[in-house]
Amino acid sequence: MGSATVRLHDPDVYEQGVPHEFFDELRRADPVHWHPEDARGRGFWAVTRYQDVVAVSRDPDTFSSYRGTAMLADFDDEVIEMQRAMMVNMDPPSHTRQRNLVNRGFTPRMVGKLEDHIREVCHELVDDVARQPQADFVHDIAAQLPLAVIAELMGVPGEDRERLYDWSNRMIGFDDPEFQVEGSDGAAAATEIFAYAGELAQRRRAEPRDDIVTKMIQPDSNGDVLQDLEFNMFFVLLIVAGNETTRNAASGGMLALLEHPEQWQRIQQDRALVPSAVEEILRWVTPVMDFRRTATRDTVIGDQPVSAGDKVILFYPSANRDESVFDNPHTFDITREPNPHITFGGGGPHFCLGAHLARLELRVLFETLAERLPGIRLAGPVRRLRSNFINGIKEMPVQLWT
Amino acid sequence: MRVVVDHQACEANGVCEGIAPEIFQLDEDDNLHLLDQPGADSEERVRRAVRSCPKVALSLEGDRE
Repeated sequence: MGSATVRLHDPDVYEQGVPHEFFDELRRADPVHWHPEDARGRGFWAVTRYQDVVAVSRDPDTFSSYRGTAMLADFDDEVIEMQRAMMVNMDPPSHTRQRNLVNRGFTPRMVGKLEDHIREVCHELVDDVARQPQADFVHDIAAQLPLAVIAELMGVPGEDRERLYDWSNRMIGFDDPEFQVEGSDGAAAATEIFAYAGELAQRRRAEPRDDIVTKMIQPDSNGDVLQDLEFNMFFVLLIVAGNETTRNAASGGMLALLEHPEQWQRIQQDRALVPSAVEEILRWVTPVMDFRRTATRDTVIGDQPVSAGDKVILFYPSANRDESVFDNPHTFDITREPNPHITFGGGGPHFCLGAHLARLELRVLFETLAERLPGIRLAGPVRRLRSNFINGIKEMPVQLWT
Repeated sequence: MRVVVDHQACEANGVCEGIAPEIFQLDEDDNLHLLDQPGADSEERVRRAVRSCPKVALSLEGDRE
């Protein structure tokens, strides 16, 4: 290896930025890289090439999400047991059953029905900030959109939205001291969300509505239904997976466009470019940086033998810059075609449930920004999240004019 | 070459329909239907659709690739 080894599980690393140079080197010289055990956790195989991430993702029999959970962090047995109630930490067939129950609300057809509402939310958000001379793009726009959409989707009343914001920050910010106040760490936030989800389900049972919560607590056409615990866990998952991801794609996307003003200008002149710009933003930002699998038997990844029980970490930012798939991978190009990024996962059972919803939110947001916010520029330092999981921005001051 | 749909795995993502609409069609209730089996003219696109399915719900039978 040419340069010094980067500790790929160290959240401090990502506070400075995704270590792309190190990933480039790994893909070239050591694509399935053994990262030794240290004080922070068990040793693991870092999978960095596109084709290898795809192959592992599509083989859940060999690479389990259940055994050691899907998270990079090592948990003790008790926490692992709790985590396993969440779909992201399950394998087929239990995963398949739950996933089919919730998928009903997230197909392109169902998600498409939300477009008018999403457009209204975007217009309101952008018009509000356009009246201020300065704003925080993260808090005032990027974070508000997914919150509003999830609230609408799940029928959470408007006055509870700020609570969702707080919960998701605390759950994802477990490695960032700024989001951890004494006695209210990620686990406490999860407990609060849990209780809230229970109340929400209770209310819908008493008073059914035409919303996804009602649908989820009613039996499907096979008479199958989500149990209370399953529903609550799904709600926790939704708060985290539906919020931070879209928020950071929006913030990171706006930042990329501000850093490439000629491309932002092109979008403003021709909003038909937005869908392909959104795909490039997804590739460029890759909000979820890693998920874990555990090998269930002796196997190989690429040419690398891997033993049963080994911890395997898939690094999506690296796969999305793989030069064997993407020409000039480190160039931000809103017209990139084809753009088979795996920001929503490499395919297989855990392919992002919210992919269509995320694409819709981002498309409408950037259409609205291009249409209604002609003047925007950075007005201060961008502050990044300290996390080895989410490629996040905490604060991005912008100056606005019309 | 025959396309087979695993309806248990299909999640109506519609990727196949986007690539080969003459073969794959989603109905009003998000069920996937095969309108036809691929002929020589659609073979390449059907292969791409099968490869692109994010849920790995499509496969080819009797294929001598």
